[in-house]
Amino acid sequence: MPKLNSAADLERLRREINAARDPRRRCITVCSGTGCLASRSQEVVTALQKELAGRGLQDKIDLRRTGCYGFCEQGPIVVIEPDGSCYLRARPKDVPEIVSKTLLDGQVITRLLYEDPQTHQRIGRFEDIPFYKHQKRLLLAANAMLDPKRIDDYIAIGGYSALAKGLFKMKPERVLDQVKLSGLRGRGGGGFPTGKKWETTRNALDEPKYVIVNADEGDPGAYMDRSLLEGNPHSVLEGLILGGYAIGASEGFIYVRQEYPLAVENTRLALAQAEEYGLLGRNILGSDFDFTVRIHRGAGAFVSGESSALMSSIEGRVGEPRPKYIHTAVKGLWDKPSCLNNVETWANVPLIINHGAEWFAGLGTKNSKGTKIFSLVGKVNNTGLVEVPMGMTLRQIVYDIGGGVPGGKRLKAVQTGGPSGGVIPESMLDLPVDFDELYQAGSMMGSGGLIVMDEDTCMVDMARYYVDFLAHESCGKCVPCREGLRQMLHILNRITVGEGKESDIELLEELSQFMQEAALCALGTTAPNPVLSTIRHFRAEYEDHIRDKRCPAGVCKSLIAYTINPDVCIGCGTCAKNCPTDAITKDEERDVYLIDQDQCIKCGSCLAVCPPKVRAIVKGPPGVVLERA
Amino acid sequence: MYLDEITQSRQEPAGSRADVVVIDDEDSMCEGCRQVLEADGYHTLTAPDGPRGLELVQQVHPRIVLVDLRMPGMSGMDVLAKVSDIDPAIVSIVITGYASIESAVQSMKIGALDFLAKPFRPEQLLDSVRRGMEASRTREQAVAPPQMEAPPRPMEAPDAALRGLEVIGQYYSLGLGKRDLLDELRHLEGEAQFLAETLGRIKEKEQVLLEVVTDLCLVDEMIARHEYRKSALLQILLDVQTRLNWLPRHALKWISRRLKVPLASVYTIANFYEAFSLVPRGAHLVEICTGTACHVRGASGVEATVTAILGIEPGQTDAERLFTLKTVHCMGCCALAPVIKIDDRYFSNPTMKELQKVFASYGQAKEQPCQS
Repeated sequence: MPKLNSAADLERLRREINAARDPRRRCITVCSGTGCLASRSQEVVTALQKELAGRGLQDKIDLRRTGCYGFCEQGPIVVIEPDGSCYLRARPKDVPEIVSKTLLDGQVITRLLYEDPQTHQRIGRFEDIPFYKHQKRLLLAANAMLDPKRIDDYIAIGGYSALAKGLFKMKPERVLDQVKLSGLRGRGGGGFPTGKKWETTRNALDEPKYVIVNADEGDPGAYMDRSLLEGNPHSVLEGLILGGYAIGASEGFIYVRQEYPLAVENTRLALAQAEEYGLLGRNILGSDFDFTVRIHRGAGAFVSGESSALMSSIEGRVGEPRPKYIHTAVKGLWDKPSCLNNVETWANVPLIINHGAEWFAGLGTKNSKGTKIFSLVGKVNNTGLVEVPMGMTLRQIVYDIGGGVPGGKRLKAVQTGGPSGGVIPESMLDLPVDFDELYQAGSMMGSGGLIVMDEDTCMVDMARYYVDFLAHESCGKCVPCREGLRQMLHILNRITVGEGKESDIELLEELSQFMQEAALCALGTTAPNPVLSTIRHFRAEYEDHIRDKRCPAGVCKSLIAYTINPDVCIGCGTCAKNCPTDAITKDEERDVYLIDQDQCIKCGSCLAVCPPKVRAIVKGPPGVVLERA
Repeated sequence: MYLDEITQSRQEPAGSRADVVVIDDEDSMCEGCRQVLEADGYHTLTAPDGPRGLELVQQVHPRIVLVDLRMPGMSGMDVLAKVSDIDPAIVSIVITGYASIESAVQSMKIGALDFLAKPFRPEQLLDSVRRGMEASRTREQAVAPPQMEAPPRPMEAPDAALRGLEVIGQYYSLGLGKRDLLDELRHLEGEAQFLAETLGRIKEKEQVLLEVVTDLCLVDEMIARHEYRKSALLQILLDVQTRLNWLPRHALKWISRRLKVPLASVYTIANFYEAFSLVPRGAHLVEICTGTACHVRGASGVEATVTAILGIEPGQTDAERLFTLKTVHCMGCCALAPVIKIDDRYFSNPTMKELQKVFASYGQAKEQPCQS
């Protein structure tokens, strides 16, 4: 690959790439994000390669493995360009038909199209699927248009034009001003104004300065950063280089968790390719700006996503936070000014530079600009990644995009902000997505997990789940967090096994307040949020557990038992075959099955496999023996 | 070697190696010396004159030769010279009735160690022979430098058995009794077993050493790839974990030495992060995602099922070291929740039947290479 020595070189390359591509030429794209790979999309790709080669079509039809489309539950996703037919849950056995019917004859295979669960209407183009229709995909749209392993794909759709613009048409101060004016706020959760952070680092007196991408996405239930870094690593890299230019840093780091092997691989490849083109290294695009980037893998510690902890980790020490009397923006990595931003924040930068700060500031609400990517997961029909403009209500997200709760169940709450956030009950679903609104509701934006919970979700168990997670992840450096979480977990465990005491709720609140005031880092100060918000909105559920020893949602294992209703059991034995502990035996006399409660581990396998028409398995409070009526 | 001795002794019934040969024309002298020396444990042979004496020396390679200077035919001096020709390690001691300084000096010039003037007392003889034995040992070491051939290879068990058969054959031809044969067999068996065990131990040790060395070479490569930067400690540990599947102590010690980082710091990091294991892991890593999305959609049920099937709790490895079970906080496959991952394969909300089948297939895959 030739080195690009000027902005004109880049434009020439872009023209060449696009000229060599026929826009009318058919291209079949297969999503190869982690979600679709988990649904065996690689097998679909292999089958397609074989089929195309077998028909001698490999030179006439392009095959592209793209980044994440976002609609992960329906994967593997196959889209045929340029007409945009979208096939969901494609299997290798569908491949011959896709090639012969759709690619050669131009016919649509109806059974592979999206079916609206309500109207049962089939939808052909992916932009028309409700899941996509209501989104505003500024960042995610590119994922579908490129193969993340090929820099040319990114350049073809206008990639690195923001960098060229910044380097040759703008002074560093002006780039910084644009970011400030855009009103962009940190997407990692805190929502700190990005421009202000950049300015602090830029104005800090010490040299050298560092810029860092935080891709240590430890928040359970969120995977936006993975998807961006995996599906479009160059957009993050371009943002980072621009940040380095604006701040005056010539060294950058990308800290990515090793649980995301594909993100690590694609980022590594992106760095190598950018370097070959002269988009990284010395004299970028022939300018006098030098910039290098190094990848650093995290090793599975939630707390290492905290800025000072992350920097310790890059230094080769244990990833523990330190007191931040002086911000990391002034004294960070190796005690030098260091600007750390989340993946999504960096990815927004090229957009702002290309389209201008006013354009960006025109999106969203008064104090929250632009779009936000959420991972819409849990008990919702359309799970996946959604990108919406700030200000959209949670109801719109869950119902219009997510398609509501499956199985006709009632929505109970939506959880945002991960372990640092809280639950928002159904009654508050009209809350707009906005940093400040969510904070006032007792939750927070967080990095973008949006977990939908239905009536089968126990709120005390959710609080226990988050506290358990945090107690495990607490580094143990400060006492309030270490001991506070341990005690909270102890109390919550007690409540969920039916041994709660009257004063437990008050004790939890007291502990929470103490931790909020005294913990060292944000992990500890925000740790009580899941507990406080569940108490605030679902106090009655706590009281049910404590007073009546009852779990209304039927989740807490000690408070439930699985039994078989002998009146409806048809004696098919499916449950017995699926019981991992052989706790289910047949009562030959009565021709029904029985569950031995001593052996039952309450995994729920029997309930899952009992035929829907029969529904003989009953989940209820322990001690209730079902007898034939 | 025990076996060699037996064979030799049977072929030369006269005795293998004598300690002392006395050459004197006086019968009484010969017999007297023999009795005194034998009584003190020295195996002694005698000869009445030079030529026969030399023949005997040639045959039995004694440590010491006692020579009378005055004998009919070949003189003592001549015998002395010939003896050192046969083997320079043999110590000569001169016996003379003419205890003149002159003859003594003469004899010592041509290699005698000592001389005894007739008549001498038994104590004098023994004293002289004792010194002679010591001298003989030092000479032997000096003359024949330590054998530099390959050290005796521990005999492979089959070799020992074959050798044993050979010996039994010999025994048989010699007409030895059944009891001796049985004793010998028992002895052989013990010998073979001992050899096999030693061999096994040596091989085991060799194997372990080889493995450690291979590990350390690998670790060294990884350290070099990170340019010996101390800040790359975490990255190096990640690489080592990926390649070796766990962090053995010798690897950590080596990293500590190469990076000049205290071992305690290396351990702090290895303990802090989830990704590392300080005990060997099973061949396959089973990860149950316990992220929020998976939790809400029933990850705890999946965990209970997997635990029941594998019979191990999260964090444990099964006895055959086939599976290590682990829970992880979110693998980013939230849309497929609940998810479990076995090595690189993801399974979305698997049923018990599916899981049983999958785990069984791994079990079979492991057995196959053993059969072939």
